[in-house]
Amino acid sequence: MTRARSLGPVWPYLLAVALGYLLGSIALPLLSLAQGSTSTPLARVGFALRENPSASTAAWAVLDADLSVVRSSIAAPQREVFDLVVAVRGLDNGGNSDWVRAQKICDSLSWTRCDKDALGQLKDLSRP
Amino acid sequence: MTLELDKRTYALVIGFCLAFIIGLATTSGPRARFEQATAGLSEAERGALPSLPGLSVANAVWALGSEDAVKKMLRSELDRLPETEGRARARVLVRFGIMDSNPDGQAAVFFQACVADPSLCERAPLIAAAERETRARLVEPGRHLPLYLMAGHP
Repeated sequence: MTRARSLGPVWPYLLAVALGYLLGSIALPLLSLAQGSTSTPLARVGFALRENPSASTAAWAVLDADLSVVRSSIAAPQREVFDLVVAVRGLDNGGNSDWVRAQKICDSLSWTRCDKDALGQLKDLSRP
Repeated sequence: MTLELDKRTYALVIGFCLAFIIGLATTSGPRARFEQATAGLSEAERGALPSLPGLSVANAVWALGSEDAVKKMLRSELDRLPETEGRARARVLVRFGIMDSNPDGQAAVFFQACVADPSLCERAPLIAAAERETRARLVEPGRHLPLYLMAGHP
């Protein structure tokens, strides 16, 4: 009772801060949608695949969220191939290829060549 | 009492505004960077960005995929690509021709490639396109020019 009473005056402030942060976070995406912006998760992932992105940690974090959205829109077995491309291009690893994961995914697809040399070439050949 | 209420209201408004700015800054930086990076692209290039993940997957399957995986991918690419994407459809058809083991089937598919992209109706550009695709394939079958292009069929 005493504790609830002592926390009582704090709640409105916490609520205001939480609401402010939430509205601030969604303001720009909502504005972009309203303006018909081309900045969609699919377009951002497409751009990252096209380029050799050298981005900040925050930008990679945004790309992580975009990759999840795009991945969920692709049906198997194409989804596993997408995971393979993401691993060799290092899109979910700050731009650094994850060869171990790439090899595991490649093996799971039962493809005949999953060696490092082939996966290294795949890194370039998968570029759209 | 009124003064106390005013102080609390100010604190609430300031807290809300600061949090709003922090939330905005957290998401706007990377998105603004994307908008800035793509600003240099032409309208057509920007419009093509959403199709690139699918194209990248198709290229990966072409590079290393089994014959079965490649044929499934090529069929789904032909379903996905509209008739207006002539060059992209022609590329898929050239890959189909390379994978086809029957010279008559190859002839039919390469003719469709010519319809989709008239620049491939001449023999030399068609062979060059097929050679590019065979170089991008790292496993058999599909690493060599098809018989139809090697044997000098009309």
